[in-house]
Amino acid sequence: MSGMFDLAIVGGGPAGQAAAQIACAAGLGVVMLDEQPRMGGQILRQPPSTLGVRDWLPGATYDDLKAQLHRSEALPGLDWRGGVSVLGLFRDADGFQLLATGRDGRLTIAARRVLVAAGCYDMPTAFPGWTLPGVMSAGGVQAFLKSQQVVPGKRFVLAGTHPLQLLVADQLRKAGADVAGVHFAQGLGAMVGQLLRDPLLPLGNLRPFRDAAAAFVNLRRAGVAVRFGQRLVRAIGSERLEAAEFADGTRIACDVLATCYGFLPQADLPRQAGCAMQRCERTGGLAAVIDRWQRSSVQGLSAAGETTGVAGAEVALREGRLAAIGILLADGLLSESEAERRAAPIRRELAKLQRFADLLARIADPRTAIAGLADDATILCRCEDVTRGALIRAIRATAGPEDASALKLVSRAGMGVCQGRSCEHAVRALLAEQGAAPGGGFTARFPARPVAIADLID
Amino acid sequence: MSHRIATHHPEPILIRVDGAEVTALPGEMLASALLAADQPVFRADLEGQARGMFCNMGTCGECFVTVEALGRPPRRLRACLVPVELGMEVWRG
Repeated sequence: MSGMFDLAIVGGGPAGQAAAQIACAAGLGVVMLDEQPRMGGQILRQPPSTLGVRDWLPGATYDDLKAQLHRSEALPGLDWRGGVSVLGLFRDADGFQLLATGRDGRLTIAARRVLVAAGCYDMPTAFPGWTLPGVMSAGGVQAFLKSQQVVPGKRFVLAGTHPLQLLVADQLRKAGADVAGVHFAQGLGAMVGQLLRDPLLPLGNLRPFRDAAAAFVNLRRAGVAVRFGQRLVRAIGSERLEAAEFADGTRIACDVLATCYGFLPQADLPRQAGCAMQRCERTGGLAAVIDRWQRSSVQGLSAAGETTGVAGAEVALREGRLAAIGILLADGLLSESEAERRAAPIRRELAKLQRFADLLARIADPRTAIAGLADDATILCRCEDVTRGALIRAIRATAGPEDASALKLVSRAGMGVCQGRSCEHAVRALLAEQGAAPGGGFTARFPARPVAIADLID
Repeated sequence: MSHRIATHHPEPILIRVDGAEVTALPGEMLASALLAADQPVFRADLEGQARGMFCNMGTCGECFVTVEALGRPPRRLRACLVPVELGMEVWRG
C-alpha cells in the first residue's frame, strides 16, 4: 500500500504488534516502522536471518511474546518497514506526515493516525569512568547476546538496582561468559521489604518475578556471586575498562561493566508533537499522558507500552490492544458498547499487571543508589562532553538558567546527537539539587534520531 | 576476548576498519563485528579519551562511524544499526 495509511505504528515491539493485529483484522491499512531490521522490539530483538540459533530465548516468559511476534510477521495487510528511523511527526489537515530515514536516505509516510509504541531504553547513569569503552547498559549487553549472538567481552560485572540484571547475568553465563558478580546497590532486606508491603500479591504467578528468582538460583548454583548493598562508585581504566570499584573499596577486574538502574520511556516523538507528558517519579523520564483508550492530548496520536511509562512487555501488549480498539471506536468501526466489551477483560488484566509493575519499580528505585555518584569531573552529557562541574558553574552564574532548556543553551548539555536522551534526567536532577527549577526538560527538537543534512535537502 | 555463539552462520567476510581487515559475519551489525574482533574503542572525545559502545539500541549515538559500502556514498551511521556487507569500509572517530 502507498499513499495514505489509516495507521502508522512507530515501534515493532509487543505493543505495536498487538495493535497491528487488531487494526489489520478490522481492515485498516497499517504501516509499522522500526529502527531494527526485524520485528520484535528490544524484548524480542531477533538475530539476523543469516545466523542459525538453537533455542532462541527459551523459557515461558518469551513463549507468548514469540507466538505473537510470529503471527505479526505473517499479518496480511501490514506494511513492515524495518531499518527505518522516524525523525519527526508533523500534523496536517488529513492526519500526519512522518519523516524518516533508512539506509538509503529519506522517506515520508502519510497516515491518518499514529500510534507511538517506541519502547524504552536503559537509564544512562553517570559515575566516574562511565565513558570508558567497556561500560555499557545492561540492555545493550543483553541485545548483543540475544540478537547478535555475540558475547561482547570476557569478564563481566553487573551493577545497579534493577532485577533485570539477574536475567542478563544468567544469559551471559549460559553463553559461556565469565560473570564476576551481580551487584545490587540496595540491601536484600529493602527488596524483600517492598515485596512484603503487598503480601497478597501472588508473585509466583508473575513471570518477571519468577524469572528473576530462577536466574538468581541458577547464578548461585553456578557459583556466581550475587551481592546486595554493594554500591558501584567508579569504573577504572585508561584506554578501556579494567575494573569496577564499589563503595566498600572492593575492586573487581572486568572488561565489561553492565549497568542496570531502570529504564526511561522513548518519548521523543510525542514530545516533539506537543503531547502532554508526565515525569516518571523514580527515574526522571518523561512519559506520554494518555486517556483510557491510549489517546494522547494530540488529536489522532496514540501511545502504548513503555512510551507511556515503563511497565514491561505484558502491560505493553495489552496497551497496544486497547489503543487499537480505541482507534476502531474513533473510526466508527466499533460501537461504544462493543469497544467497551472488548476492552473490559484487557483493563482487568492491566489493573492487576500494573500492581506488579509498581512493585518492581519500587524494588528497583535507583534514586538512593545514584545520588552523589558523579563528581565534578564526571561527564554528564556524553555527546558534548559537559561535566557536572561545568553544569554547576553555569547554574550558579549570575543570571543563571531558568530551567533545563535554558541550561542547555548556555552549557551545550543536551545539544548533541542523542538529543539529550542520555543526560536530560541527570541535568534535571542536578538543577533540582542546586535549588533551580528543572522545568519540563529540554525542548524536544526535530530530528528525533540523527540524520545527515544531505538526506533532508536532497 | 569476545566470542560468537551462533550455532551456524554463513562464511565470514572481510571488511576494512581504518584500513585494517576485520572478519565479520554477513548480516550482523557493524558494532557486533567490532566487539567480536576485540575492538571496543569507537572514537575519542574532546579530551582525547577513548569512547565505545554504550546503549546498543540506536539511542545514545556513541557508536557513530563513517561507513562506505559498495555503490553508496560514505555516510555517518550508528554502528549498532548497520548490517555489515562485503566490501564495506569503515572509519572510526
